[in-house]
Amino acid sequence: MNLLFSVVIGALFASGVYLLLRGDLFRVVAGIVLVSNAASLTLMASGLTRGQAPILPLDEGRGLADPLVQAMTLTALVIGFAVTAVLLALSLGVYRSGRSLDLGDMTRREAEEAAEREAGELAQDVEAPEEATL
Amino acid sequence: MDELPPPTPPAGGDQVIAGPDGPEDAARPQTGGFGPSAAGAIAAAVLALVALGILWADGGGSIDEPWAPAWDLRLSFALDGLAALYGLLAAGVGALVFTYASAYVPRHLAADGRPREDEARLHAAMVLFLVAMVGLVTSEDLILLFVFWDLTAIASWLLIGFDRRRREARLSALMAMLVTTVTAVLILIGILMLRAEYGTTQLPELLRVAEPSTTVTVACALIAIGALAKSAQVPLHFWLPRAMAAPTPVSAYLHSAAMVAAGVFLLSRVHPLIALEPGLLDGLIVVGLLSMAVGGVLALAMDGLKQVLAYSTISQYGYVVTMLGVGGAKGAAAACFYVLAHALAKSALFMTAGAVTQATGAKALSATGGLLRKLPLLAAGSAAAAAGIAALPLTIGFFKDELFFAASAQRSTELGVAAVLAAGLTFAYMARFWAGIFLGPLRSPVRAPLERRLVWPIAGLGVLVVLGGIAVAPFAELAGDAATVTNGAPVDLHVAYHLDTRTENLMALGAWSLGLLLLAARPAYVPALAAFARLGERLGPDRLYWVSLRKLNELSDAFHDFEVRDLRSRVSSVIVPASVLVALGVIVTPTGGVYVVGAVERDDLPLVVALATCVFAAISVTIPRQHIALTLTLSGVGFSLATAYALMGGADVALVAVLVETLFALLFFGVFALVPRSVLRREARRRSPDRNRWRDGVVAVASGVIITLVVWSALSRPVPKDGMAERHVALTEVAHAKATVTAILADFRGLDTFVEITVIGVAMLIVMAAVRTRRRA
Amino acid sequence: MRAGPMVRLVARSLLAPSFAVAAAILVKGYADAGDGFSAGAVAALGVMLQMLAFGRERVARDLPLHLAPRVAMCGLAIALGVLIIPVLAGGAPLEHWPPPGEKPIYIGTLELITAVVFDIGVFLLVLGACVAIIDALARARAAEEEVA
Repeated sequence: MNLLFSVVIGALFASGVYLLLRGDLFRVVAGIVLVSNAASLTLMASGLTRGQAPILPLDEGRGLADPLVQAMTLTALVIGFAVTAVLLALSLGVYRSGRSLDLGDMTRREAEEAAEREAGELAQDVEAPEEATL
Repeated sequence: MDELPPPTPPAGGDQVIAGPDGPEDAARPQTGGFGPSAAGAIAAAVLALVALGILWADGGGSIDEPWAPAWDLRLSFALDGLAALYGLLAAGVGALVFTYASAYVPRHLAADGRPREDEARLHAAMVLFLVAMVGLVTSEDLILLFVFWDLTAIASWLLIGFDRRRREARLSALMAMLVTTVTAVLILIGILMLRAEYGTTQLPELLRVAEPSTTVTVACALIAIGALAKSAQVPLHFWLPRAMAAPTPVSAYLHSAAMVAAGVFLLSRVHPLIALEPGLLDGLIVVGLLSMAVGGVLALAMDGLKQVLAYSTISQYGYVVTMLGVGGAKGAAAACFYVLAHALAKSALFMTAGAVTQATGAKALSATGGLLRKLPLLAAGSAAAAAGIAALPLTIGFFKDELFFAASAQRSTELGVAAVLAAGLTFAYMARFWAGIFLGPLRSPVRAPLERRLVWPIAGLGVLVVLGGIAVAPFAELAGDAATVTNGAPVDLHVAYHLDTRTENLMALGAWSLGLLLLAARPAYVPALAAFARLGERLGPDRLYWVSLRKLNELSDAFHDFEVRDLRSRVSSVIVPASVLVALGVIVTPTGGVYVVGAVERDDLPLVVALATCVFAAISVTIPRQHIALTLTLSGVGFSLATAYALMGGADVALVAVLVETLFALLFFGVFALVPRSVLRREARRRSPDRNRWRDGVVAVASGVIITLVVWSALSRPVPKDGMAERHVALTEVAHAKATVTAILADFRGLDTFVEITVIGVAMLIVMAAVRTRRRA
Repeated sequence: MRAGPMVRLVARSLLAPSFAVAAAILVKGYADAGDGFSAGAVAALGVMLQMLAFGRERVARDLPLHLAPRVAMCGLAIALGVLIIPVLAGGAPLEHWPPPGEKPIYIGTLELITAVVFDIGVFLLVLGACVAIIDALARARAAEEEVA
């Protein structure tokens, strides 16, 4: 079982990384979802024991699933949800500001804007000296 | 941080030579009664004054409540002599300053074109400051003290930056806040060092058990640095002259009786600890003397009314720090008495400056003069106050200098000489200040009559200053009680006039003559003063502050560019080195027994199927080009994982996983709906070059393999014998629950859950803000 | 965008049950699978189903969607209260009542314990947050349609 879990986790992670490296922002978000899925499964798989759900009353004689990792996985899932929601909203913001979802476009635009801004700042520094009214 | 100024800060020194400032703050007659907030603030201050007075007359008192025993914190307050002195000052001066503010602030707001309602902000922050100050001086626990210390910093930020439309006010507020809170961190470090050494932050306990040691010395040095920065001592004094951008009532309160006083208060509070190391005391004397010199000289050089007073405050608190450095019964007594006398007189002088500006519009000594006839009551009140600072007889100030001279002369002749020089400087700049406003030719006419509330508080403080010069006993008693705390041993403080040739009297005479001489010879050395002021600006700590702020900003910009400019290359630049490191770790780890395949039993078959589905789904997520298909395959991964969780005995996890997956799908679709189809189609059609796809595929597979190996070795570790699972289940019953996972979430690890839901709440706010469309007209 | 009559019928008739299931999950959370989060998510899904079937405008007339952020903040405040109040009373943060060993008060088979109050806070937060997020998306969509 150890090997099996590891391979599944590795596959999830690999797919996630591949998506992370795409240019489309939504795919990047999907990649992050996959990577966090891999993390959740790792947490669950690292439970020291497996067996019935830890809800009282317990059946005698059957193994017991480790409750602690379950609680941690739950927290991870929920936070993953919140983070993904934010990422999606931010992707939407990126789209709205540049009418494109492509990271390449975005990088080019930011470089241009930065160059413009620096040129503008220079002009401002020369133009507006401080005024002392202490 | 778009507010950083260019590295050349606004020149304050220009005013040495500069003419009158433009009277843009022209006073307009603004009549109006008390605002409700002003009345509330005054009532709060009077209440605090009365309560403190009654308690103190009753012999003090203390509160000691356990607060959070789990963290070993206590709410312990005590009203001892020191607390009474500073508390009564903060409340008493506060009551008068708030009264003054009730008339001043409406005028100030009207001149700025702001609504009158804004005054409530100022009064609220003032009361916050008062509360913080009273809490600070009565705290018996150092952590509690630190909390109030930071609260004063926050309140001062609000107050100094009250004119938030003015860039300069915002910058000054930020500077005061940064200087005092960054150094406050040093105080916290000092406190924690003491706690680590002695296991307590309760001051009485600490004073009892502390012994001279390197830890205590370092801790006290850190605390002292924070305190000196708050008291605007050289070289951390530069924020105070800038803080004059605040409305005058704020300066009158914060920079005479409250904020700057907090610094010397802290020094007095921990003085017995500081006194364990004589080197620290000598350091205090050096800082104090430097501040006396720099502050005094610059006060003589400045032209702006409030600038003179600001540098005077630096210099005057230099006296107090010097006295604390001298230490012993005499030093402690002189320090405490000095604080009392100075606070009364200095706040009156600040209010005078504000009243003069309101009446004439003039802000600088070179623009004022001859107001004695026009504003006689103001002139009389501020004359008493100025005489108090200059230590003339028949004012309370005379005794402050008597004590100061006595303590310095007793320490060493050199210090005695320095004391006379400093007192001479003080006399000179105070005489110049008062004479510059009220004597000589009339330079700016009175354009607006002053309300009574702008004058009476000054007169009241003037009366107090004179009263203290005639019947000094009650003041001396208060200061003596405070000094007893500072000294750690009883202090007998007796002062009276002695008409003989004792050393102190001779020193006083020497100081006055020196002051007159300095005043007479001023034209001769004014250029030198101006040069000194300019030098301080070019090379002084103020400059250092701006430069470091700018550099920090640049550093953060550089990091931002490096991190964020190109997300994809960043992602690979994080993943690749991390993978290499992890892979190295995997390679050098001995493999014997590290990798256990683990048995697959017949019962596990459904789980194997679920996991296999999951792998197929995961791989297929990378294939589709359409976004809808992408989302559906992603859901497929989630649902097959949920099945796996259910088969692993995680009923709760499976339930939540299903729900989260459903919400995910809705979220994705909701966001897709906001992007035009054409754009989505364009993105779907866009193909990255084959070369890139191969490269990314290799990176992905390599990292997948490494992760597999790492997780495999982690999962292969032998299971420890003591069953944590059983223990959790056993505890579940104690917690009145049946479902262990829920009990862990809501009880055992409830703090995690709380943080988690906070994250959801924050995420909600971010999404709502990011998604909202601005309607275009 | 309107769904067909069948979907609308099902959606309408599922709203009350989804809240009932949520309430059951919440109350029984301490005795069975599920907790505040799942309860909140179930209830939120119930609301979202309405929005899918009838459109946002129609649902907003029946349900106070605009209150969702406030519901979420209330939930956070409740949880914070359960967290802080024991500290003010001199205990550890999130110390629950009744303490171990004492019998909780029962209403039928329902136990009155502060851990459930904490879970209710979680429930309200999750419900409010999910609805608020989806509602924000739906409103943005409506606004864009208006512009177009």
